[in-house]
Amino acid sequence: MDVSQYLNVFMDECQEHLQSLNQSLLVLEQEPDNMEILNAIFRAAHTLKGASATMGFNKMSNVTHAMEDVLSLLRQNELEVSAELINVLFAALDLLEVLAQGITEGREEDVETTGVIQSLQKFVAKELKSEPGPKTEPGQKSERRQSLELRYLPLEIEQIKSAVADGSNLNHLHVHLQEDCLLKGARAFMILRELETHGDIVRTIPTAKELEDEQFEDDFIIGILSKKPLEFLTRFLEKMLDVQKVEGEVNDPEALLVERRGDGAQAVASDVDQQKTSHTKATSNVSPTVRVDIRKLDELMNLVGEIVITRSRLEQLSWEQEDQNMVETVEQLSRLTMDLRDQVLKTRMVPVDHVFSRFPRLVRDLAKETRKEIQLEISGAETELDRTVIDEIADPLVHIIRNSVDHGIETPEVRTAAGKTLPGTVELKAYQAGNSVVIEIFDDGAGIDTRKIKAKAIERGIVTSEDIDNMDDDDIMNLIFLPGLSTSEKVTDISGRGVGMDVVKTQITNLGGIVEMSSVEGEGTKFTIRLPLTLAIIQTLIVQLGNDVFAIPSTLIDQTISVDKQDIKRLRGREVTVYRGEVLPLVRLQEFLEVKEAKNADLDELDVVVISNGERRVGFIVDTLVRQQDVVIKSLGTYLGNIPGIAGATILGNGKIALILDLRSVA
Amino acid sequence: MKDNKERQEETTQIIIFKLGEEEFGVNILQVREIEKLDQGITRVPRAPHFVEGIINLRGEIIPIVDLRARFGLTLPELGLNSRVIIVEVGEAQVGMLVDAVVEVLRVPVSAIESAPTITKGVDSYFLAGVVNIDERLIVLLNLERTLSPEEEKELSEVELGDEL
Repeated sequence: MDVSQYLNVFMDECQEHLQSLNQSLLVLEQEPDNMEILNAIFRAAHTLKGASATMGFNKMSNVTHAMEDVLSLLRQNELEVSAELINVLFAALDLLEVLAQGITEGREEDVETTGVIQSLQKFVAKELKSEPGPKTEPGQKSERRQSLELRYLPLEIEQIKSAVADGSNLNHLHVHLQEDCLLKGARAFMILRELETHGDIVRTIPTAKELEDEQFEDDFIIGILSKKPLEFLTRFLEKMLDVQKVEGEVNDPEALLVERRGDGAQAVASDVDQQKTSHTKATSNVSPTVRVDIRKLDELMNLVGEIVITRSRLEQLSWEQEDQNMVETVEQLSRLTMDLRDQVLKTRMVPVDHVFSRFPRLVRDLAKETRKEIQLEISGAETELDRTVIDEIADPLVHIIRNSVDHGIETPEVRTAAGKTLPGTVELKAYQAGNSVVIEIFDDGAGIDTRKIKAKAIERGIVTSEDIDNMDDDDIMNLIFLPGLSTSEKVTDISGRGVGMDVVKTQITNLGGIVEMSSVEGEGTKFTIRLPLTLAIIQTLIVQLGNDVFAIPSTLIDQTISVDKQDIKRLRGREVTVYRGEVLPLVRLQEFLEVKEAKNADLDELDVVVISNGERRVGFIVDTLVRQQDVVIKSLGTYLGNIPGIAGATILGNGKIALILDLRSVA
Repeated sequence: MKDNKERQEETTQIIIFKLGEEEFGVNILQVREIEKLDQGITRVPRAPHFVEGIINLRGEIIPIVDLRARFGLTLPELGLNSRVIIVEVGEAQVGMLVDAVVEVLRVPVSAIESAPTITKGVDSYFLAGVVNIDERLIVLLNLERTLSPEEEKELSEVELGDEL
């Protein structure tokens, strides 16, 4: 079967299931008796097994099959949730992730799975030894059988009675599918369809919908009104593919069990009941969704960008025409365009939970590895960010969290000795602030010793000792974002190789974001990351310089001020002024941009755009401030590549190009 | 007979343009379109010196390379006949600023010869060959080399080395 066209769908679903398995396992570790979670885990493993087998990924289906065996023992209370078991399940999960990776790279077969499968099978074998043959115990079968009892609504009973009077029989057919049957949902659907040629199906347990969605084990019951003898029906079914066996009986319409509307869930016996309720719980707050290729959204965004630009152009024209009707219509169009833009932007937004949800597992594993007691507190996981930003932010966050666990939080002994609480806390917080999203990572660990940073920085030749004397604590802290500086005394597996923080900084800066760190020795460390909501459309301040206009992203602007020529002084050959009681270095923008026709040298009153790069501020002198404007970022393309200080270009309403400036590299 | 004839006619199409009075050519397969320059070119600070700037081509940002600056030729300013030839190099689209586009010429592949060291003041490094046809000498450009910003660096280093 050619499955290549389904591969993307499969991989997407696979990732979702792995994600949910990860989360559920973490909960199960805390609440071993949580049946609902156990069911959720079982379902996820089960679905993965079916899907991977259908796609022909045998290794993945073998691993999930082994997991399923263990999980089903857990569900039947024949196995206890133990730390060892959880670890093995986590190991299996990691293996599945490796397999998924292998599948995308087309080398699933190379992944070694026997070790994990064996350790999973050990649990099943152990169980079978201690309690011989629990699976084939007859009592259990009948119990299951009972749990699949058919019940009818009063209306249906009326229908049955009249049909029976007409010469039909009510048959209950209990169909068992082969255990290794693939696409059971489809098979069940086929069976029902074929069977309908011989009578009217009144009811099935589970419901036809659930059968189709594969929400059943290997068996189901059909209640069918038919004039054909029972014998015929059972044999008819048994001849169908994947049917293992069929048990049937003719029922007396007078002795049927009645299901009252409303309390159906209680009336149906436990097993099915539980599956049903937990299922509705899981789906009730999820609205229907459509999967869309992110590239299509990118294209949509581009088109909206074009419309936004054309709209500005139209606005300009309508003002020039001075036709009131025209102006009003264009205004209406403007509003619609903005709504459209907002909606398209929203479709690209994803909750940060997409990234955050993997951290509980990360912290758990790291804590085990380093023998520390750590609890992770997450808040604001529902905060939304553009999909492209979400994809890029994961790596830097992982790095910071690793650092917090490894270098931040102390060992339990040290914490106790210092009179600190156990467990240590790592806090992950996201919230929206204006046009940015802020992510904070705080740990209540040892904090960072500025003296150590100083010593390391001098030792590695990153700064001179004179430089250090001129730096305040914040400056020194932020030295850790420079390449080649790691303050950990011992190099560990987790972090501390001196690569990392500079990479973190680069990655976040590339996203148009800012990262800062603050730390109090003995109390903890906090990283603050500020990210733009979206990368596609940004709010800018348009400034004029000579004959050209430039766009400066508003997120980078601290403030715009007006400075009298008199107030500009020279300090060490640089122009400076005093702003909020501090010395503010000034740069004439034309010097950086090599613009010859700039006029600000002749002005008495200067417009200054103050750019903040973390704690640092620099004022850029322009000719005039033009206006605030939302612009669509266009890349300069691969040909020009990265030019420092230039983030891209945008096309203004008049069709002219304005460069978008990222002045942080200058600041 | 027929085979023979076809082989004789194996040709390629070349777009001929002028830099000053000299004729240059590029393979038509690499050309996306030819545009009049009816808008200003937006300068990009800190770009390579031969990049004149960028233009807005129906919503796309296209970098413009001044071939005269690239080859170190000093020639008259842009005029009415000036055109931008948009070419595709790898994944990038680049506009080449030329003084005029003359014609599309079909030339037999056999007429293309390798270029001498320096032709019309242009280093053979930038050239794919020369075509000598009907007493015209057309210089064919190697676009990958002509337009690659990376090569620029190496080149200037080489030149520097020679001078030293």
